[in-house]
Amino acid sequence: MFDRDIWQEIFHTLKNNKLRTFLTGFSVGWAIFILVMLLASVNGMQNGFTNQFNDDATNTIFVRPGTTSKAYAGFEKDRRIQFENDDYEYIKQSFPKDIEQISARYFANTTARYKSETGAYPLQGVHSDFQVIEKTIITKGRYFNSVDVLNKSKVAIIGRKVKEDLFDKEDAIGKFVEFNGLPFRIIGIFIDEGDDNAERRIYAPITTLQRNYGNTNNISQIALTYNTSYDLTEALEFSQRLEDIMKRRHKISPDDQAGINVWNYAEAFDDISSFSTVLSAISIGVGFLILIAGIVGIGNIMVFTIKERTKEIGIRKALGAMPKQIINLVLLESTFITALSGFIGLIFAWIILSLIGPNIDAPAFSNPSVNLSTVVTATIILIVAGVLAGLIPAIKAANVKPIVALSDK
Amino acid sequence: MIEIKDLHKSYRMGSNSLHVLKGINFSAKAGELVAIMGSSGSGKSTLLNILGMLDGADSGEYVLDGVPIKDLTETKAAQYRNKFLGFIFQSFNLINYKSALENVALPLYYQKVGRKERQEKALNYLERVGLKEWATHLPSELSGGQKQRVAIARAMAAEPKVLLADEPTGALDSKTSYEVMDLIQKINDEGNTILVVTHEEDIAHMCKRIVHLKDGVIVEDKKVNQVRAEQYV
Repeated sequence: MFDRDIWQEIFHTLKNNKLRTFLTGFSVGWAIFILVMLLASVNGMQNGFTNQFNDDATNTIFVRPGTTSKAYAGFEKDRRIQFENDDYEYIKQSFPKDIEQISARYFANTTARYKSETGAYPLQGVHSDFQVIEKTIITKGRYFNSVDVLNKSKVAIIGRKVKEDLFDKEDAIGKFVEFNGLPFRIIGIFIDEGDDNAERRIYAPITTLQRNYGNTNNISQIALTYNTSYDLTEALEFSQRLEDIMKRRHKISPDDQAGINVWNYAEAFDDISSFSTVLSAISIGVGFLILIAGIVGIGNIMVFTIKERTKEIGIRKALGAMPKQIINLVLLESTFITALSGFIGLIFAWIILSLIGPNIDAPAFSNPSVNLSTVVTATIILIVAGVLAGLIPAIKAANVKPIVALSDK
Repeated sequence: MIEIKDLHKSYRMGSNSLHVLKGINFSAKAGELVAIMGSSGSGKSTLLNILGMLDGADSGEYVLDGVPIKDLTETKAAQYRNKFLGFIFQSFNLINYKSALENVALPLYYQKVGRKERQEKALNYLERVGLKEWATHLPSELSGGQKQRVAIARAMAAEPKVLLADEPTGALDSKTSYEVMDLIQKINDEGNTILVVTHEEDIAHMCKRIVHLKDGVIVEDKKVNQVRAEQYV
């Protein structure tokens, strides 16, 4: 393998057939280039998804009531489930170790009026923990705190869009805005990195809204974050426990999918990672198919080379070259072309990725790149590919009959 | 040195089979210079190919330097060729991208002789055929006679037991033919066994023994008075 004479011969053949070598090498280099680019794109999509979900805390679970689809424990099906303040307290008490933040949500709509400006906005009653759950960023003033919730204070925080609509350039903090005719003091303005729509919202303490809108204990939804140290399995196991306990509490059949909906971000992540696994598998598949075309190209050119060098191989055999030595020569040559051109493709892809990759940051596509394991795998594939490409031509060469090769007729 | 008994060989040509060698009995002692003559189709090249282990016989015995040659695998044949035989071809069969020196060194490479020793030996043999100054030249830069001398040096380099020459002068004009024959005679003078296939009478008479082949059998086997090629050079 490290015989100087063999390498001399390989370089000689390559040098004498520059165009041919280039064309064959190009097919393999191109294949590897595409393979790496495809993998990098999948990686970029993965990054994009992760960024998207980073908008909300990724350890979030939403518990929503639904309508039962199965009769259970004496109840008929199609029963509407309603959450109340007790459910919030119950969950809070039941999982002190698992829960980090918890907030109930009460959804309403309101017509807000400040001086002569009015507008219709979604109004949400939440607990003060919700700031963390929703990753709400206060740009001015403050979020309401647990004391506001306890006192049922008529305070509210408004999104950037709401502020622009109602106040224009005027300072909103401390001003009173009428929601359905009731005055609320604005104590903070927020932005949300996720989307503009979220900035059309108004948040107020849930207790205040429950008292002023229908004097009810009803809540629409419970949102919570779990212990950040949980991995995916633990997170899914926790949401399962949560679902079980809530179903038992509301007398919903354990296999009723519709009665209660526990939505865990982790599940979505799980879906996304399996989605991108499938995507990588597809791109590896496509890349391989292209690579096979390249390998066939090299095999083809090697067969041609052997044909051209039949006489030379015959001479070598007459001089005492063993079949093994001929096979070595051919295999080494094809492996060398494959590996070299593959590496060039790999390096090309890598350079392009490291130049433009960090600059790409679209919503669903961010920083496409390849990691070391991809590179190592590609290298191994290349060497195997080279051997495969040379195998048939090498065997053909070894079977050259010197007598046929040497006949002048 | 060479012992052949009742050698048969036939080729299959489609549905017909062509019986080329019909029982050849032949032997040559060490140091002989034998010309194998015959018209085309007489089987002389086939005989040489079998002697050179480039082709196998259908039946019969072949003993070379006391070693029975039979049931050869490709690898075994390659080893024997390398150890026992040196080939000289009508069309020289030099590798065209290798220099004269590298061509001569090639059989030594297959004998796994070290690089340095290989170069020295090859240069030594080139010197013996009078082409030391041409060592770095490619075959395309050499004349026909020079090419054949390089080929002879290559055949000699492995120090074989027997040199097999298949129409060594077939592609050369008469003057260079005599030069090549002169060289072959000198190599024979040193004690090497050489078999020359030819259809030229004058070349055959520069050997010490002439074997005539006709239709796959030996029709004549006679010793001759060697004509020295030197006088024509």
